[in-house]
Amino acid sequence: MNFSIMLDRSKCRGCTNCMKRCPTQAIRLINGKAYINVSKCIHCGECVKICPYNAYTPECIEWHDEMNNPAYKYKIAIPSTPMYGQFPKGTDICKVQNAILKLGFDYVYDVSWAADLVAKAIKKKIDSDKTTRPYIATNCPAAVRLIKSRYPSLMDNLIMLREPMEIAATLSREMARKKYNLKDEEIGVFYISPCPAKLLAVTNPIGDYEPSVDWVIPLNTIYGDLYREVIKADNNTCSYPSLEGIKWAVAGGQSKNAKLTNYLAVHGMENIIQILDEIENGRLSDVDYVEALACVQGCVGGSFNVVNPFIASNHINYISNSKQYESFNPDIDRFDEMYNSGVFDYKLRDEDNPMKLNIKEAIEKDEKIKEILSKLPGLDCGSCGAPTCLAHAEDIYDKKSLLSDCVVLRAKEKNQEE
Amino acid sequence: MNNRPLKRYSYRIIANDFMVAGKGSSSIKSNLKSLGIDATIIRRIAIISYEAEMNIVIHSFGGKIHCDIYENKIVLISEDTGPGIKDVDLAMTEGYSTATESVRELGFGAGMGLPNMKKYSDNFEITTGSEGTRITVTVYL
Repeated sequence: MNFSIMLDRSKCRGCTNCMKRCPTQAIRLINGKAYINVSKCIHCGECVKICPYNAYTPECIEWHDEMNNPAYKYKIAIPSTPMYGQFPKGTDICKVQNAILKLGFDYVYDVSWAADLVAKAIKKKIDSDKTTRPYIATNCPAAVRLIKSRYPSLMDNLIMLREPMEIAATLSREMARKKYNLKDEEIGVFYISPCPAKLLAVTNPIGDYEPSVDWVIPLNTIYGDLYREVIKADNNTCSYPSLEGIKWAVAGGQSKNAKLTNYLAVHGMENIIQILDEIENGRLSDVDYVEALACVQGCVGGSFNVVNPFIASNHINYISNSKQYESFNPDIDRFDEMYNSGVFDYKLRDEDNPMKLNIKEAIEKDEKIKEILSKLPGLDCGSCGAPTCLAHAEDIYDKKSLLSDCVVLRAKEKNQEE
Repeated sequence: MNNRPLKRYSYRIIANDFMVAGKGSSSIKSNLKSLGIDATIIRRIAIISYEAEMNIVIHSFGGKIHCDIYENKIVLISEDTGPGIKDVDLAMTEGYSTATESVRELGFGAGMGLPNMKKYSDNFEITTGSEGTRITVTVYL
């Protein structure tokens, strides 16, 4: 599967907005165009949101072809929880579900059903282990990757429960296997995603589990087709989502779903960095559960959504409290069996844990970088193509950049010549 | 060979200068951070070095803090010039303080300095006399 954030270089003007915004400093400007360092990227989508020229676009070409893959005898769609918030208020949710089927799927498994189950697992895990505090949510792949790259000491605080998307895929796949007597490779599971991070969770998971989702569809790439079908749809009968489970779309929702009282929901990259700093400094150990979500308002803020995150939150709350629907969950009775068999749990692999520090090498590297840094002007202007002078010094150390790339130094030299 | 640290960070601490007090320990913190030392270790060193620094500012005639990095440990050495601690056992008691009223008004001198340094260390040694005090604290990596 392709990398999910693509840059249209003809639109990129080299303005440095994305480079300065990137929380893992994964972006550099080379010859006036942005480049993403794939190994550093956590797919948070900040660059997509901030780019004033809309140069970043979601790119998952294969799912189009895979929809027509003859090997798939049964195609399952898993719509994300924020999806119901993407249509005008009052839109019948059954029409949305039926519209998804019209796009060529055989079955829709609502992710809210899996969310209910994961919420129960969260509650159970928090109640059974009182030593790890705070537990940190693992449903936002971007937040988990931020922790891995910037807060490795907090890896132990991750609650390490597979996210609802994965549980939904596992359960619906199992259903299709049994009911239609199909093999795993004959079933295609497609997740309709609000954000690029979910793609990364499928292609490159953190943890020792095999992803159950096959393909990820960025919501905004099918939104037009979907909306047309929603308008046309006349069938308004369906299996309702769980009205508690869909609350996961908005920050704080999963804690409410899990019936937690002592939780902290933090959303938006800058905010979660502040809270993770606090946790790393030994505070917040009096909080049971921290929902750290990379996007503002939670998953409704994902960069593949269409509607403003605050408006979408209002829609989700409206549906969740609506008397029109009856909350439903086909698999809720299976919780105990699933929990005891370890369906929710995963463990970190060796490569997920922080690398052991070679202190001697670290000191040598640090001294060399500081020496380079002392020659740079310290303006963090970004004109060299790195977000800060320190990042530039690190690039020079890694032989990816030159001291002479510094515009300020070059200007000084020129002045001296004259 | 084994006794020499791989790296030493040193800071001069000025007595009674509350404007810059805390600068030394925050520099130690940022240096350790840029080396990539584990955050839990940094947190402990930060607490220990802050307490050591404040002790020098409040009680001594001035001194130095060294942060020595070894392969397997970090050793923090705090040394000052006088007047020394009269009763070390008493000074190690939580809540006991000889800080003056004016220092307490600034929010310092709660009598937790030495006890905290010991609490967050793996090894704690103190030698004191009228010419000064030397505290050596070890945290294993």
